[in-house]
Amino acid sequence: MRARFEIVRPVFAVALTALFFFPIYIVVTGMLKPADEIQSSPLGLPAPPTGENLGAVFGREDGLFWSALLNSVQITVLSVVLLTLSSAMLAHYLVRSKARWTKPALLMLLSGLMIPPAVILQPITQVLDAVGLMNTLPGVVLSNVAYYLPFGVFVFSGFIGTVPVDIEEAASIDGASRLRLFWQVVFPTLRPAAASVMIFLGVWVWNDFLSPLVILGPESGTTVTVGVYRSVGEYSTNFGTLYAFSFLASLPVLLFFAALQKQFVAGLTAGSVK
Amino acid sequence: MPGSPRHHPVQGGWLRRAREFSGFALPGLFLYAVLVLVPIVWTIVLGFTDRTRFDPQANRVGLGQFGRLVQDGQFWLVLKNTSVVTAIVVIVPNVLGLGIALLLNRETVLYRLLRSVFFTPVILSGIVVSVIWQSLLRPDGVLNAILVDFGVESAPRWLSDPGIALFSISGILCWQMLGFCVVVYIAGLNSVPKELHEAALMDGAGRLRRFRSVTWPMIAAAVTINTVMLLISGFKVYEHILVLTNGGPGRNTTVSIAFDVIEKGVRGDRIGFAAAEATIMLAVIVAITAVVLRLLQRREVHL
Repeated sequence: MRARFEIVRPVFAVALTALFFFPIYIVVTGMLKPADEIQSSPLGLPAPPTGENLGAVFGREDGLFWSALLNSVQITVLSVVLLTLSSAMLAHYLVRSKARWTKPALLMLLSGLMIPPAVILQPITQVLDAVGLMNTLPGVVLSNVAYYLPFGVFVFSGFIGTVPVDIEEAASIDGASRLRLFWQVVFPTLRPAAASVMIFLGVWVWNDFLSPLVILGPESGTTVTVGVYRSVGEYSTNFGTLYAFSFLASLPVLLFFAALQKQFVAGLTAGSVK
Repeated sequence: MPGSPRHHPVQGGWLRRAREFSGFALPGLFLYAVLVLVPIVWTIVLGFTDRTRFDPQANRVGLGQFGRLVQDGQFWLVLKNTSVVTAIVVIVPNVLGLGIALLLNRETVLYRLLRSVFFTPVILSGIVVSVIWQSLLRPDGVLNAILVDFGVESAPRWLSDPGIALFSISGILCWQMLGFCVVVYIAGLNSVPKELHEAALMDGAGRLRRFRSVTWPMIAAAVTINTVMLLISGFKVYEHILVLTNGGPGRNTTVSIAFDVIEKGVRGDRIGFAAAEATIMLAVIVAITAVVLRLLQRREVHL
């Protein structure tokens, strides 16, 4: 009985995974087919593959794909860098300081971990409006930094607690300046935590839809996710082009993940599953 | 993140002058205060006014908006829709995810590859996932073409039948979250010490007994993590609805609470009304968080 299951197991596992994979298969093969072939043989392999759908996305008159890609890259890189720096510094201070207000501050941050953006988006637009950052890239970046800060602090503060304080104290006795001390002594010890913070936030910020849609608004360009949403209407009957756009919008984040898969899964489960 | 934050007693040295150090904490805290805390308070305050986009002069109306919400038949429908999606999304990926994790819990190239396949939708954006499924589920879409090939007389109208659309959306969300649960469960299963299993085998425990007495208690933490993630993602469902049904078919059959708040407060003009709704959403999140924290403390899961 047991031995028989071990033979059936891989077959069953592959079949089940293939069933699960079916929608992605349709997209990847569909974007390489001309429109009539998608209708006539949706399940077949593209024979021969055509690049016309990808070409249609790359060569749009309005250059929507390229401008969206540029916006997405700028927003993601800026948000992730600023988030990593500010949440590492904040977490370090909150864990190491003896000041009384750090405990409530930490609690207040962690309470923000669960709040969906929809709840506070309207007032956020008002705040950004008041300081003239509505419909700008910096507006999106700053709201990202504020919104995801609790996650960064959460990961870093858990990690800093496990790093002995002695190293820092030894360095401080040598009289290094505080900033240098932080960058040269403290931050390197946080590298594993920084890796998982950056991976998570990179994926989340790249995939964000609601805040770029609302904060960037129609007049300041789009990100790739908003671009995919906007092109749904345009390509309503042309699935091949829609698939190509969806694929290209997801490709950077898929490559990013493939490159860092090990840290991603480690970060997902580090310490939280014992 | 092994262990929990420990506060070191700091003696002398550079940290004694913590006040000067608070410069490190300020940038993050300032942004958080201005763009998260202020909006939270603002939302709650606005919920007690009759503010609209065209009439910025807000008058205090006390519990008026909440009264309207409760009397408004649509609000209860919205709550029901959100509850249905959340319930399905909490249960299905959890159960299937554990099954698939048990199936794929082998360290060979093949099984690692299969696990990556399951994880792929997790890193796709909700918009892309919705666009893909929208093309599959249309009346003339791929799925129904296949069903007709298999001799199904009248294929379901996945997104335009008011009795089915909400379940289609829930199913798609389950498909997207399943891989997350699988990965977390695999990590949980691998944290069960081999000696425990061997000891149970020596004692003559059967397969089921071993699962119940050895595996299950060890993956309790994974269950908690998955349940929290699924609760939150089910409760805040928005993008999938926007792309797949835009709240229809019929009258609001798939409107979720997040969709309603955005529709009325951000894209529409009923700011006060939407803020009252958002405040209720906030209260539910706080309640969920409190329960989760209690669970975590009771189980002594190290985060």
